Amino acid sequence: MNHTDTALTEPILAIDALKKYYGKSASQTKALDGITFQVMPGEFLGIMGSSGSGKSTLLNCIASVIAPSSGSIAIGGQKLQTLKGAALAAYRGKKIGYLFQNFELLDNLTARENILLPLSLHGVREREGDKRLSQLAAYLEIHEVLDKFPAQMSGGQKQRVAAARALILSPDVILADEPTGALDSRNAKLLMEKLAGLNRDAGATILMVTHDTNAASYCRRILFIQDGVIFHELRRDYPDESGQQFYGRILKVMAQLGGGSANVL
Amino acid sequence: MFSKLVSRNSRRSRKENGLFFGSLLISIIAFYIILSLPNQDVMFFLTTMESQAVDKLLSLIPALFGAALFILFFLIYYASKFQLERRRHEFGVYLMMGMRRGRLFAMLLAEDLAGSAGALLIGLPAAFLLSELISLVTARLVGLGIIGHTMSFSPQAAGLTAAGFLLIKFAAFLILSSAISRQEIGALLVERPDGTKKQLPAPVYALAMLAGIFCLAAAYRMAISGRAWENIGVMGLTLLLGMLGTFSLFYGLRFPVSLVAAHGRSDRRLHAFNVRQIQETVVRRSGTLAVCSLLMLSALCCFGAGVAIARFYGSSQPHVLDYTFPGDERASGIAGIRETLHEHGLDASFSDLFEMKIGHIQTDRDYETVFQMEPVMTALQALPSSENRDVLLNNLSYATCPYLISLESYNALLRAAGEPLLSLQEDEAAVYMDSEWTNDSKSGMLNEILQTRPRTVLDGHDCYLTGTVQTINPVTDRSITLSFALIVPDDVFERRTGDRGSVYLDGVLSGTEDTSLMSAIAEMNKKLNATGLTYESYLQNIGRHLFYMVAASYITIYLAIIFLIIANTIIGVQFLMSQQKSNSRYRTLIRLGADSRTLRGSAKRQINWYFGIPSALAAFSSLFGVRALFSGLLPSSAAENRSEMMMISAAMIFVMCVIEYLYILAVKRSSDRYLLSLMVPRREE
Repeated sequence: MNHTDTALTEPILAIDALKKYYGKSASQTKALDGITFQVMPGEFLGIMGSSGSGKSTLLNCIASVIAPSSGSIAIGGQKLQTLKGAALAAYRGKKIGYLFQNFELLDNLTARENILLPLSLHGVREREGDKRLSQLAAYLEIHEVLDKFPAQMSGGQKQRVAAARALILSPDVILADEPTGALDSRNAKLLMEKLAGLNRDAGATILMVTHDTNAASYCRRILFIQDGVIFHELRRDYPDESGQQFYGRILKVMAQLGGGSANVL
Repeated sequence: MFSKLVSRNSRRSRKENGLFFGSLLISIIAFYIILSLPNQDVMFFLTTMESQAVDKLLSLIPALFGAALFILFFLIYYASKFQLERRRHEFGVYLMMGMRRGRLFAMLLAEDLAGSAGALLIGLPAAFLLSELISLVTARLVGLGIIGHTMSFSPQAAGLTAAGFLLIKFAAFLILSSAISRQEIGALLVERPDGTKKQLPAPVYALAMLAGIFCLAAAYRMAISGRAWENIGVMGLTLLLGMLGTFSLFYGLRFPVSLVAAHGRSDRRLHAFNVRQIQETVVRRSGTLAVCSLLMLSALCCFGAGVAIARFYGSSQPHVLDYTFPGDERASGIAGIRETLHEHGLDASFSDLFEMKIGHIQTDRDYETVFQMEPVMTALQALPSSENRDVLLNNLSYATCPYLISLESYNALLRAAGEPLLSLQEDEAAVYMDSEWTNDSKSGMLNEILQTRPRTVLDGHDCYLTGTVQTINPVTDRSITLSFALIVPDDVFERRTGDRGSVYLDGVLSGTEDTSLMSAIAEMNKKLNATGLTYESYLQNIGRHLFYMVAASYITIYLAIIFLIIANTIIGVQFLMSQQKSNSRYRTLIRLGADSRTLRGSAKRQINWYFGIPSALAAFSSLFGVRALFSGLLPSSAAENRSEMMMISAAMIFVMCVIEYLYILAVKRSSDRYLLSLMVPRREE
């Protein structure tokens, strides 16, 4: 996450003419129809759009869960299509960290074990993660739940534990899929503040898909997607523009996004 | 549409779940094999000479069938449960679409029937072939020959098999489908693990484990000390302690597993995940695992008993005589028998026909003092103390009025057996002991003493014992066993028995090398029956012997296999079921970057532990159980072969390990396929 000066000029994630079609000719659905954008190191990028706009497909393509029909995804200069087997698995854990809407914590593991799971998956010695674990736990305020099982935690705690798990291997990019979707407003606010703090203070690169205008107002830049193409882009004039003002601008775009407004109101 | 859905679903379940279909086939085969027992060649043959005993055994078949129904019900139940559990989501969708519960029930019932019919269609022919194979192999093993074999499909057995199978299948179906139909749609739609049960404080589990170990130790002690056989109460207590101990130990296993989970750190891939998965399964299923472990133990004990019975009762004494005709039962005596045989042209079939004279001493003396052999007893007492010596001392102390055997007739027997003949002086006697009453070690001790030509007193006259202990049975009739007899010169025999001994005509069949002995004797029996002569054949006696051996080992080994199969199927199915329930966990792992190799490795490690824990305990317990069984079931002559018994135990544990290994392989393959299915479709979404 500690980017160098040269890295500032090179995108950490480059999406080029990405297409994902489902089905054959007549009944074909174009989930992604040629999307191109770049994410710079240390950026906090939001992706918004109505249901079925293709934003989840985009995230899943980047997460290598879905193979795109054409186009390319490059992370740190390396094309995703060229990765196979072990390299692909290593990519999933080390290059990207994934934050799920419904946390996806393993319910029979304690918070600590959940957070350390990626280390164990990628053959990293657990001791090497101990220091980072205590830093993350302190920052995300989850110290007291480290030895508890998910069933014994609140939703907010669960999502912050999940965030710690996504961050434990210091991935290049954090992909967040509606991270506030299952949280109440207080916990959603707390989580977004922590994510924004990580981005601001530690330079974490975050790519977040969301419906939630509130959550989106923490981003520096927002891409709006409709019918598989980028439809609009908003940049927050940081630090001059306040979160509140940016929120207002997002609402306006959402109102223009035909079907999308239904999700906001 | 409905019927199309039914037929597609049942075809799919056959294809997708080999384990389930396999257990259906096993049940069908197991039923048919019991029910077709009366059609086995060995049984046909035994019926001709031991019809009463065979009838007694065959009357046991309904009970055995009932027991098999009961045991196999659990197999079907668990297999069907797994089968239905994996389709929960599908059922939820049907109900969401507005299918009525009654309709769903009817659909499942129709699927179940279609599946059962398919299983019967494949299972019955397979069962028939297998039972024919068993029939041929046993016939060959006992020397019946397979020429006379006729295919014997039993429609009655097939009908009962189908009925029994459908009965337990239907019972399992009713229980399971009513459980499913009671659930809310929401609960059906969401697949999730059962979650962790409420945990009790750790010391409770530690105590349970200690209590388990204590109970098991007590049961082992009672088993190997032989106290378990004292009476039925002690036996019941031993079994109860053993079962209680097993359950308690498995319950308490949560303690060490959670210790490992909390403190054991390892950098092995997915170590924490594996330990937690094992902890969950052990915690949630400690009862089932304990039952499986007990089933495996029962299987090992049954195997042990079956093998031991076959091994020790099967090793019969050297076979010399084929027929014995009692001479006392005809007024014309031996001469009359010879004449009858000649008249029917049967004497030519015997290579040897000779008289065997055995008699009781006629005397006025007290029976306690007719025969005195103090020098022998003193010499025995001087030998180093051993169990064999004490048994011999005890047995010989009763030999105060032994039977006498005439030297001439015994020599005729020795000649027929190709053994060196005995020669005795007027004042000498040789010792005969039935092989059931002696063994190599006892005969060895006695032979050493006989070399000193000890002086004994027989009916007031000096009598020097000489030669070696003879053990070849003088007649075929196994109901006549002489624990101790003296072989004496003929004139001594005539004098002592007052010419009131019994005379038998012993016969050895000629040309039995060419055909199987069994069929030769069966053939001769038919001819002899026509003559009206009374006779005892080797086969009749060995037949009785053979019968008990075959029946006991057949039943015990049959039960052992069934127990083992059920235990393993339950464990395997339970594992796959819990794996499927935790599919969201596996999906998360995949998203976190677990490759298929890591996931499969993790599942394999879990499978090893899941199978390993109950089988290890069963194997350990069987060391005691089998030993206890041996000491209870086998004659004392077998008890001295401790090392051989332990070898049998080890061999059985090895066989179990092989079967476990095969099951583990099958479950691993099934698990691999499942995990791959989790990885593949998501990428093609």
